Order: sequence, then structure tokens, then C-alpha cells
Amino acid sequence: MNKVLDELFVYPKGLVDEESKRVIHLVRQWADKEIISKRQEYRENYEKLFIETRKSLNLTIGLQRLTLPEEHGGFGWNNPASAPGIASVLTEIGRADAAIGVATAVKYTMLAVITMAPNFDKALCDALAPVYCGEELKTFSLILPGMGNVGQDTPLFLGRSILASVEPEGDGYVVNGKNLRPINSGAVADLFCVVCADKTGKPCIAFVPGDNTNIVRGKTLLETGLNASSNADVSFNNVKIPKSYVISRQGVVEELYTWLNLLLGGVSVGTGMNFFEMVGDWSETRTIKGGYMMKENPLCASVLADVADEVFTSRLFLYDLAQTISKPNDWGQSSSQRVYTIAQVLGSKIQQNVMRAINRGLELMGSAGYSKEWHVEKHWRDIKTIQSYLCGVGAEAPVKMDTARFFFDCKDI
Amino acid sequence: MKNFDEFSKPEEYISPMDKHIRSVIRNWADKEVMPYRRKYDEDWKDHHIIEPAFDKLMGNSGIGLQKALFPPELGGWGIGQSDSAFTISCALAEEVGRADTAMAVAFMVTYWPLTTILVEPHVNWRLAKEFAPMFCNAEKAVFAANAMTEPQGGADIENLELTGGKTIRTVARLEGDEWVINGHKLWPTNSGGVAKLFVVPCTTKPGSTDLKDFAMIFVPADTKGVTQGGPYEKAGMAADKNSDIWFEDVRVPSWYRAHGPSMDAQVFREIIPWGLAASMGFMCGAMLNLYEILYDFVSTKTYKNKPLKEDDHIASIIGRIAGDIDICRILSYEAAKMGDRRNKPYGYPIYSDEVACKMRNLKDFVSDRAVDIFGKAMDVLGPYGADREYDIEKHWRDIKIIQLWMGGKQLCQMEAARYFFNCKTL
Ligand SMILES: Cc1cc2nc3c(=O)[nH]c(=O)nc-3n(C[C@H](O)[C@H](O)[C@H](O)COP(=O)(O)OP(=O)(O)OC[C@H]3O[C@@H](n4cnc5c(N)ncnc54)[C@H](O)[C@@H]3O)c2cc1C
Ligand SMILES: Cc1cc2nc3c(=O)[nH]c(=O)nc-3n(C[C@H](O)[C@H](O)[C@H](O)COP(=O)(O)OP(=O)(O)OC[C@H]3O[C@@H](n4cnc5c(N)ncnc54)[C@H](O)[C@@H]3O)c2cc1C
Repeated sequence: MNKVLDELFVYPKGLVDEESKRVIHLVRQWADKEIISKRQEYRENYEKLFIETRKSLNLTIGLQRLTLPEEHGGFGWNNPASAPGIASVLTEIGRADAAIGVATAVKYTMLAVITMAPNFDKALCDALAPVYCGEELKTFSLILPGMGNVGQDTPLFLGRSILASVEPEGDGYVVNGKNLRPINSGAVADLFCVVCADKTGKPCIAFVPGDNTNIVRGKTLLETGLNASSNADVSFNNVKIPKSYVISRQGVVEELYTWLNLLLGGVSVGTGMNFFEMVGDWSETRTIKGGYMMKENPLCASVLADVADEVFTSRLFLYDLAQTISKPNDWGQSSSQRVYTIAQVLGSKIQQNVMRAINRGLELMGSAGYSKEWHVEKHWRDIKTIQSYLCGVGAEAPVKMDTARFFFDCKDI
Repeated sequence: MKNFDEFSKPEEYISPMDKHIRSVIRNWADKEVMPYRRKYDEDWKDHHIIEPAFDKLMGNSGIGLQKALFPPELGGWGIGQSDSAFTISCALAEEVGRADTAMAVAFMVTYWPLTTILVEPHVNWRLAKEFAPMFCNAEKAVFAANAMTEPQGGADIENLELTGGKTIRTVARLEGDEWVINGHKLWPTNSGGVAKLFVVPCTTKPGSTDLKDFAMIFVPADTKGVTQGGPYEKAGMAADKNSDIWFEDVRVPSWYRAHGPSMDAQVFREIIPWGLAASMGFMCGAMLNLYEILYDFVSTKTYKNKPLKEDDHIASIIGRIAGDIDICRILSYEAAKMGDRRNKPYGYPIYSDEVACKMRNLKDFVSDRAVDIFGKAMDVLGPYGADREYDIEKHWRDIKIIQLWMGGKQLCQMEAARYFFNCKTL
């Protein structure tokens, strides 16, 4: 498809400054050169190339340090004003490979609660940045609250069960939790961020280095998509961490959700855009009804319109959310109920839209859409995996309840 | 509700064999498939784990289902001559599909080409006798395939009403008492070296729209000139192999043509309802299994420290899911009954527009519901939705193609419009 994506899927360009545009351009070049132009090779050699391309992205281009303050050797994108730029970077990565996108989105989400103004936590950044954002590629993993099991009475974060606990011990804390399911990379993570409850049941977050011997990792999960991320259940058995590794400021868990929704939204929009490119190619070469170009058939055109419409509106939602986050003076901090709720509403809409775009587009691709050779099926599986994870519990029950609580002042839900 | 057997089906129509067949297959599925199916995805190329389960289902060393369609005098069970052939097929599709829809399709596609020569009123006794030993006397699973789809498109070939067969590029030429076939097919279930017998929809006059020139010719897979490629790697459906098949000057006896001019086009129209009814059965089977898994999940996992199923909001979602399964099953049995009314005064022949279009419509509806509720069920499971351990994601990957095969979703929509609104140009 010989079209400029940004001229089709327009977005408020003014939100992204010139410096960010240069980085975004670099990432697009990386995506085209290292993945999109060699999909076949990438697919056949996926495990190896997944690591190599992540390395070139994180270390050669240096994106591992994107959201670190300049004084920590970073790009200095540690201000909410950078939200549109960071989301754009993830869109470019998602266009190439959603699994690399998720790994990056999780990394930036975890770093956001440490480095983003006005909550920059210098002590924690001093401790973690040199080890986890240095010269080696490191993998981050996030464990959110979610479902409980019958018979347990757990502390809750807005309805979601918090299955990990943190308690003071000596000059630090110990973290405990059984069979927790991270959203990514549990089997290989170098650093975990775990939503825990303290003794009083109050939610907080703990950073847990992955090399602690009291961490037990389950077997690597086989999942619908994102398999390169190597997820696994994780148990923490009295894992000791320094005091500064726990953040318990009001709203810190909301912050995590806000950033995660934005950044995974960026990934999925990118994947949706690449899917659009692929369906576009197909619709221009495939003929039906004995020789008519598929895209000139009104019914097929209406399906194509759905694909474009869903991806287009998702991208607008994405920048709307990025803009909301980038202007705390207008709408509040990313920890506020308003921004947190907006992030959930838009985040979930983006995932649903992109999923629908792909489901619709697959309808036109017949068997080609189903075969690994065409790659679109990977996008379909990856996005469904992201979407299911983001649902949390019971098909977005918590998101619905958060939304109703914010808009209708519900008290008991 | 006691268990998934309580989902509605028209009890008064159910074949007397239903209960027995179901219990035999369920036993097989629970023992031979359910414990291993999570490993099937990695076995897509070799079928090391998958093949023995097929043998126990289809071959004489097991249940022997592959001979079911053949008349008893040829060693079969005579289901092809039964008034309940479609309804029984629906039950078979459900029971095998509950365990694995790809196994269900590979197994039932074996019947598919054979319906053209074994189902009343078109029994071709000479061909039936010719092929009976291949299926009735085998200890192991023996498969057949229906090779319709071609590289330039599958939908047009199934859209005989519009294209009249003019897009078909696989050509059969009569030379003496032999057909000489040349062409290239893609994707048939049980290709990739699995099937022993193909039926090949083709044309005797390239570019013709005269249905007399449309032919269905049986070709044993080991005939000289037949080459199959290796299986394609797919998003799901690992137990079904699909590949390219090339026919290069393939020669078969002239009487391997199913019935002859005009009649071949009619039986081709007849196999479409078989494929559609079975497709609905596969999806219902998968949905019954979804219910089993979901029931456990929502009873043991909690939100706000209450079982998921006791949360009013989540209950509304799972209630809808189960409700849709109930409705889809009713519709699938209605489709099967349409097939079984084919020889009755109050029914329509299965080559008729009434049956073809209504069934395409029903299959389209059931597929849409299935795709939707599997997606929703994965969402209910949240972080566990994409996990293979819960089996729902496998069905989600598998059933998507059921929505898309047999000419695609849009063809179903066009056929419905054509029938209900008498459209002339679609
Ligand atoms: C697991 C699996 C099993 C299969 N089993 C078999 C088998 O047993 N035998 C066999 O022959 N094939 C089989 N197929 C192939 C399958 O049936 C075809 O892929 C399907 O019929 C669609 O054909 P196509 O992929 O060539 O798409 P095309 O024919 O190119 O059609 C693409 C899309 O165009 C649109 N379209 C087509 N016609 C129209 C129209 N008139 N109006 C509007 N839109 C239209 C539809 O959206 C359609 O999906 C199988 C495929 C898979 C993946
Ligand atoms: C044209 C018309 C004809 C009618 N005819 C008749 C008639 O012939 N006889 C008669 O008796 N009534 C009749 N009705 C009334 C109608 O049946 C009632 O309006 C209806 O049953 C809902 O009752 P309600 O309006 O009092 O709403 P409420 O009982 O106050 O319920 C309001 C809403 O609350 C929600 N809700 C209620 N219970 C639950 C729950 N357990 N869990 C979750 N959500 C819940 C539902 O969304 C519900 O719609 C008629 C109404 C109309 C408009």
C-alpha cells in the first residue's frame, strides 16, 4: 500500500514536538527495516529476532532510557507533557510487533510512577536506573490486582482483589503473594512491579528485583498471542526489598492504570495501522465475482470502511487520552479519579475498536487471513491477548464500575 | 441446570441413535482428546499425537465412524439412507467439536464428498462399491477431501448461482474412457497428504457458465499426477491439514464422475447444506465446551470477594453467553431438520434456493454469535482468557475460520438477500 499512514489516520500534530518527531521517525525506520520489510524471516526466526530487535530498539536507539530524566542519562521524557510523544513511539513499535510493544509499554508504565513529574522519586531512580536502564537489555513485568479465589477474603483495589502483601521488616519490606499472574514476562523479568496491600489493606506498589531467590516462577504460559513475552505465574515468598522500593502515595495504583491504558492503547493502534496496510494490499489485488477488484464491491468496501473507521477513531481516542494526561493543570494528575477513569474508558474503547477492525478485516481475507504466512493472524492473536489482559475481571467489570462510579457517584459498587 | 446436555434441542425430532452415538463419542473425546488437546498446536505438521485419536474415532480398530455413511450391504451403517442423516451429523459434529473442532472438520469432511454418491436419492452404487472397501475395511482412519477452493478464490466457486462455474480453472477433459484433469487447488481440509480420496469440482469447458459443464470427479490421492504440498501453518485448527494440490494430467476412469452433466452441479449445490449444517454443529460443540469451562471458572474465581457469577453485571454477560448457546443450538438443529426434510412432501430439496440460502443465513448467524461469545468469554477470564490451560482461547482461534470458510461471510449475506428480497444482480 503506497500511502502515508499519518495522512490517513490524522491526529493533532501539534501535540508532538519536533524533538519527539525525530525519535518517532527513528522508531518507524527501525520498524520498517528490522521487522516489517522482513516479516517472513522474522516469523520463522521469531524467538531470536525478538531479542535482537528489542536490543537494537532499547540499546542502539536507546529507548530503554526514553522516560528517564536527563540527569539519569535519559531522553528526559519524564513529564506528563511527553505523553503524546511516548504514545506515538509505542504506536510505531506496535505497528511492527505487539509483543515488543507490550514489553516497552510495561517498562514505561513502571518507570512513569517513579520518574514522572511531579512525583519524581530520585532515591528510587538512583537505585533502579543504573541497573535496569543501563547498557544491558532488561525486562520489566507488572502484576496488577484482579480476580480472587472462592474462599479468600482479600483486600480490594476498587473491587479488584489484591493478592500480594507487603509488610515492614527491619529496615525494609517483605513481599508475599502466591501464583500471581503478571500481564507479561513473568518467566523472564528482571524487575517486577507488584500492586500489594499493606497490613491495613491499603494498596501500594512494590518494585521487586527478579534475581531474588525467594521468587518462584511457574512454567512459561502458552498464550493466544504475545508468546515471545514469556509470561508465567510468579510467587513471592518473603521477598525482602529495600524500603525505598515501595511507593504508597495516594493514587499510585491509579497512575499505573492510567499510563498502562495509554501505552497499550498506543501499541494496539500501531498494530491496527499495520493490519490496515495489509488488508489494503489484499483488497487491491484480490478479485471476486469473476474479476472485480474486491475493494470496488460495495459490500467489501463497507467492511473496509469499518476497518479504517475503527483504526482511525482509535488513534483519535489515543491522542485524546494522551492530551488529557499531558495537561494536569486542566484535568488533574494521572492519579486523579477523572483521568484514571477517562484512561480506562478510552483504553478499553481503543482495544475493542482495534479488535473489531481486525475481526472485520479478516472476513475479507478468507483463508489467507487465517494462515501464518500472511501475518495478519498474529496481529489478531496479539491484540486479543492485550485486550483480555486489560479487561481485568469478568469482561471489564472493574472498568464499568469505575466508570459508573465516576459519572454517577455510585457508592457501593 | 444439571449440565450442558440441557441446552435446548428439539427432543421430538432427535434420532433414536442420538443418545447412543453421543455417549460413545463423548467417551472417546474425554479419554482420547481432552487430555491431550493442549498439545495439538505444536503437532500441526506431524500429527503424532493427533493421528492415534483419529484412528480410534474413525477406523475399525476404534468406533469405525468413517464407514457410517455407506449402505449396510457394503459394510457401512446406512446413515446415508437414513431420514435423520443431517440430525445425526449435527450430533456427531457437536460431540467431536466439543473436544476439538479441527478434528470434527477433518473427520466430517471425509463424509462430505461421499454424500454426493451415498445419500438418497443420489446413491451411485458403482462408485459406492468402488470406494467402500477403502473406508469400511480399514483399521486406521481414512480421510477424504473436497477440493473446491482455487488460488484465485474459493467464494466464486461456491457462488455457482452467480458465476455459473466460469471462474473454475481446474479442467477435466474426456479422453476415451478416462478423464484427464489439470489444475491447482488450495486449502481442502485433509490435504497435505492426509486424504486417500478427493472429489474435485472442475469444469469440462473453461469459462463456460453452462452448469452442464460443471463436473465433480473422484480422484484417489495416489493417482499419478497428483501432488500435494506440505501443510500450511495456521492460527488454529491444528488437527486439520490444508495444503496445495496440483493435478497434472491426472487420469481416472470416466465413471469416476459423480453423476454427469447437470446432475453434478445439483449435487455440488447439495453438498453446501451439508457443509453448513456440520459447521453449525462444530460451533455448537465448541460452545457447549465453553459453557463447561466457563461454569467452573465463574464459580471459583471472585470479584469483590464474591464468585464472578454472583456479581449482577458479570452475571448479565455470562447469562447472555449461555442464552446465545441455547439459541444457536436450536437454530443448528432447525438447519439439520431442513436437510432431513429434503425428501418429505413438506420439505424442500437441499439443492433448492430455499435450503441453500436459509442455511447460509443460519450458519452466518451462528458463526457471528460463536465468534462473539468466545471473544466475550475470553474477556470474562481476563488475564486467564488467553491462557491455553483454559481451552477457551483454542476454540476462539479454531472457530474463527468456520465463520470465514465455505465462501466467506459476505457470500452468506448475499445469498440471504438474494433469497429474501429476490435480488437479481448480486
Ligand atoms: C481450516 C480450513 C479448512 C478449509 N477447508 C476447505 C475444504 O474442505 N475445501 C475447500 O475447497 N476449501 C476449504 N477451505 C478454503 C475456504 O473454504 C476458502 O478460503 C473460502 O471459501 C474463501 O475463499 P478464499 O479464501 O479464496 O477467499 P475469496 O474467494 O478470495 O473471497 C474473499 C472474500 O471476498 C468476499 N467475497 C467473495 N465473494 C463475494 C461476493 N460475491 N460478494 C461480496 N463479497 C464477496 C468475502 O468476504 C470473502 O471472504 C478451508 C480453509 C481453511 C482455513
Ligand atoms: C406499554 C406498557 C404496557 C404495560 N403493561 C403492563 C401490564 O399489562 N401489567 C402490568 O402489571 N404492568 C405493565 N406495564 C409495566 C411494566 O411491566 C413495568 O414497567 C416493568 O415490569 C418494569 O417495572 P417498573 O417500571 O416499575 O421498573 P422497576 O421495577 O422499578 O425496575 C426498573 C429497572 O431496574 C432494573 N432492575 C430491576 N430489578 C433488577 C434486578 N433484580 N437486578 C438488576 N436490575 C434490576 C431493570 O433495569 C428495570 O428495568 C406496562 C408498561 C408499559 C410501558
